[in-house]
Amino acid sequence: MIPATLTKSLVEICGRGGVIVDEERLLVYESDALTAYRHRPGAVVLPRTTAEVQGAVTAIARHGLPIVPRGAGTGLSGGAVALDRAVVIGTARMNRILEIDAANHRAVLQPGVINAELSAAARPHGLYYAPDPSSQTACTIGGNVAENSGGPHCLKYGVTSRYVTGLTVVLPDGSVAKLGGQGRDAPGYDLVGLFVGSEGCFGIATEIEVGLLPLPEGVRTLLGIFDRIEDAGRAVSDIVSAGLLPAAMEIIDGPTIRAVEDSVFAAGYPTDAEAALVIEFDGVEAGLDEEAARAAGFCRRAGAREVRSARDEHERMALWKGRKKAFGAMGRIAPDLLVQDATVPRTTLPSILKGISEIGKRYDLVVANVFHAGDGNLHPNILFDRRDEDELERVERASKEIMQLCVDAGGTITGEHGVGLDKKHHMPLIYGSAELGAMWGVRRVFDPAGVMNPGKVLPEETAPEWTANGEEQGAAEPVAAAVAAP
Amino acid sequence: MSAATASAGIVELLPPDRVLTGEAASEWAGGRDVGTVLFPADTNEVQALVRLANETGTPLLPAGNGSWLGAGGWTRDGGAVVSTSRLDSVVHYEPADLTLTAGAGLGWRKLGAVVEPNGQWLPVDTPGVGAGTLGGVAACGVPGPLSGRYGAIRDNVLGLEVVTGDGRLLRIGGRVVKNVAGYDLVRLFTGSRGSLGVITRVSVRLFPRPGADVTVVFGGGVGEALEVARVVRVTSLPVAAAEMVVRGTGDETGRDAELAVRVLGGRAEVDDVRARLVAEVGTGPEGTMRGGEGEAFHRERTAWEGRSPIVVRMTALPDRLAATMGWAGGGAGRTRGEIAADVLGGVVRVKGLSVDDGIAGIAATLTRARSELEAMGGTLTLSRAPREVAEVAGWTGGGGGGGALARKLKSLFDPRSVLLSKCP
Ligand SMILES: Cc1cc2nc3c(=O)[nH]c(=O)nc-3n(C[C@H](O)[C@H](O)[C@H](O)COP(=O)(O)OP(=O)(O)OC[C@H]3O[C@@H](n4cnc5c(N)ncnc54)[C@H](O)[C@@H]3O)c2cc1C
Ligand SMILES: Cc1cc2nc3c(=O)[nH]c(=O)nc-3n(C[C@H](O)[C@H](O)[C@H](O)COP(=O)(O)OP(=O)(O)OC[C@H]3O[C@@H](n4cnc5c(N)ncnc54)[C@H](O)[C@@H]3O)c2cc1C
Repeated sequence: MIPATLTKSLVEICGRGGVIVDEERLLVYESDALTAYRHRPGAVVLPRTTAEVQGAVTAIARHGLPIVPRGAGTGLSGGAVALDRAVVIGTARMNRILEIDAANHRAVLQPGVINAELSAAARPHGLYYAPDPSSQTACTIGGNVAENSGGPHCLKYGVTSRYVTGLTVVLPDGSVAKLGGQGRDAPGYDLVGLFVGSEGCFGIATEIEVGLLPLPEGVRTLLGIFDRIEDAGRAVSDIVSAGLLPAAMEIIDGPTIRAVEDSVFAAGYPTDAEAALVIEFDGVEAGLDEEAARAAGFCRRAGAREVRSARDEHERMALWKGRKKAFGAMGRIAPDLLVQDATVPRTTLPSILKGISEIGKRYDLVVANVFHAGDGNLHPNILFDRRDEDELERVERASKEIMQLCVDAGGTITGEHGVGLDKKHHMPLIYGSAELGAMWGVRRVFDPAGVMNPGKVLPEETAPEWTANGEEQGAAEPVAAAVAAP
Repeated sequence: MSAATASAGIVELLPPDRVLTGEAASEWAGGRDVGTVLFPADTNEVQALVRLANETGTPLLPAGNGSWLGAGGWTRDGGAVVSTSRLDSVVHYEPADLTLTAGAGLGWRKLGAVVEPNGQWLPVDTPGVGAGTLGGVAACGVPGPLSGRYGAIRDNVLGLEVVTGDGRLLRIGGRVVKNVAGYDLVRLFTGSRGSLGVITRVSVRLFPRPGADVTVVFGGGVGEALEVARVVRVTSLPVAAAEMVVRGTGDETGRDAELAVRVLGGRAEVDDVRARLVAEVGTGPEGTMRGGEGEAFHRERTAWEGRSPIVVRMTALPDRLAATMGWAGGGAGRTRGEIAADVLGGVVRVKGLSVDDGIAGIAATLTRARSELEAMGGTLTLSRAPREVAEVAGWTGGGGGGGALARKLKSLFDPRSVLLSKCP
């Protein structure tokens, strides 16, 4: 579908194996993990180096076609979907770890490296990479950077942006910018921090420097079983209020438990329970038992009918299994699954959960919650069948109501999955025209021509006039120039 | 219109009791001649000031308590200072959420007094933090020794309200701990040093104060201290921070060095880590501080620079510490200074106590140190310096990349260059 001359240039740059134009093969790239949005790209290019990315970006831009960066396609907001037959630049062949600098707890890698592979490579050095999205065996570090991904253990350790210390980026005009690097204490604007979470709109990260942490010496994992989800929410609040800082606190609700137990992933959670709370502590061995015992006490006082604890790695994996396999299990009980993602202040969890369940009932929908409770990061998942048009409409309405509920409680519309295509029209729920205008402005600083992942993150109708002409802005008469500079 | 008459117009926006001029103004700014200091009482007033400044062509310098304005570098004289120190109320604090929202002018000590009764803290130990404001510390964004454990301030600012250089009011981020809605403008404004806008409100993430806070102090010559530092750096034990102070020139001939290693956590954990650390190091510590004693020690450390005429910040990878310290030693020698090194972060600071050795010599030493540091991937920044030194050595190095992007971002938010601050 792309002009033959472009195909030819791309093959020259990336080799025949690095260019896909065959319509059948392009189908694979039609969506990310949010399959509601499907658009076939015009072509897919798979460069191997920064120079090849540069070449590809320049060639595509010369033909005036839009570009969409893509990692593993596990995104849940439609971010890697190619609208208007855009050309996808995939990082699948940029999967080398370039350096593990154990002495400085740092690694430099290409963007296509799979998250879990980085930790595996760091392990012999006694190190690991902390942000651990549940998709970590599949998603790429480049995708994590673009989405500022989180994971269960981000409660204690923080999200991706805390660990990215440097980036090599191919900008939409084909130039290369090096941001940060060698740790991140250099003077100047935090452009690394600005790029992280930019959802493929500011350029393509082609080399990523990250910080690693020493592997914790010991781990304690608990599973609290509750008859009421509010009680599990209260246990979470109580544990935090008591000054304990678990590495992770995750809640799996009744419908999810039953989905998991009905599936091949059965983890041995009681199917009549309304919530399971996984709590994990890590650190030096000394004191871990005491912390775990205190947390177990809070669970019991909040009404847990049972608190299990893992005695070894095997049992630990078993306790986690229900959490880790939740999405997989849900995928099997309904043809379609809408994975929602919103954050609320932790103390509002009990009332929000109640509100979500009421919305589900009102629209006659099954809503299953599995989420990062310690961070207040909810994932209400709506199970449905898109062939049922009436149901589909109810899903959309319920979904919007859930988001509004979270925003009204002081929360936000996405905690980790990003805005992408899916939520761009919900951005006005939390931002006014000034904020959206500023975001447009920053985007245009990186991408004046609007070629990088267009149609994502910001609703078009909010694009202000004044950003369309960044040059003119700079031409305004400077005030301070008239004053003596040092 | 000249800057002086323009600022006269702007002054009329506020009642006289919220305006300082002349000597009172420079006294407030730590001795620096700033002309006029304005104290708006709310966001609306800040916005009105910035708008009028745009209309009348008056340069403005955003500020907190003015505790670091005298340092120079990213600021220029002329126009008026806009201090946010009256925007100091706590807007929202829910201890169980571990989040707080407050006016940018909330003093650091007052912040501590609000959250400490709930066993919480904002673990930021950046230089000079105690004298500053929440907004000023966020605006500077300088990481301190604890940032390896807790993240730097940029990792813990959840949301900001800012009046941009062209007078737009933005509320970015939020008050929840995970938020990826839209581009991360919070990180752009954090650390932008007042060059893009005036921060009027800040939401931060707090942490539970650990049950035990123990600092183990190792002493000896610089060589010995560097060896202890190496052990501390490579250990798998959870060390929260480690800072070495060298009094004197930093050569290896036995001038005193002191390495303070901070361990935070539950009591059992901290005692265990302390004992194992001492065993790994192999030499007995000079002392161990617990609780209040250690806290006071670290509080004093954040004020280490005091009013020294020269403060230099050098960074390089942590395993280059000996080399970085060597270059710092050169600078310290020239200025009869001292050195403080964040062992885990690889940041080395020099405070020079005297410039009697001659501007040219000092500038040459710093220029040489910078080029050596840059050659090994590091940086050298003047945090504070006499203008004559800075004119020769430059506040920052040439590198850093992102130059064109940074310029465009500045002109996006401050198109008329109303704000006097510039981000180095
Ligand atoms: C079962 C399941 C569980 C999940 N659990 C979590 C979780 O716990 N936490 C979480 O945060 N997310 C989670 N996700 C979402 C998803 O895995 C993350 O968003 C992940 O970071 C996406 O990585 P990817 O490589 O698949 O990126 P893709 O989906 O391919 O792309 C995502 C976005 O990144 C951009 N992009 C990709 N590579 C680059 C690059 N090199 N430079 C610039 N932009 C780029 C794309 O344009 C797109 O906008 C989950 C997804 C699934 C399916
Ligand atoms: C002893 C000492 C040592 C220090 N050492 C260093 C150092 O080595 N390196 C370093 O970078 N800093 C250093 N600082 C500064 C320190 O990191 C904080 O910036 C300072 O504590 C903030 O103080 P303040 O709130 O009074 O801000 P001010 O001193 O008033 O302002 C400091 C800077 O922040 C900007 N600013 C302040 N408030 C706002 C606001 N609300 N909105 C926008 N911009 C604002 C100002 O424009 C200025 O550029 C030091 C400070 C002291 C007192």
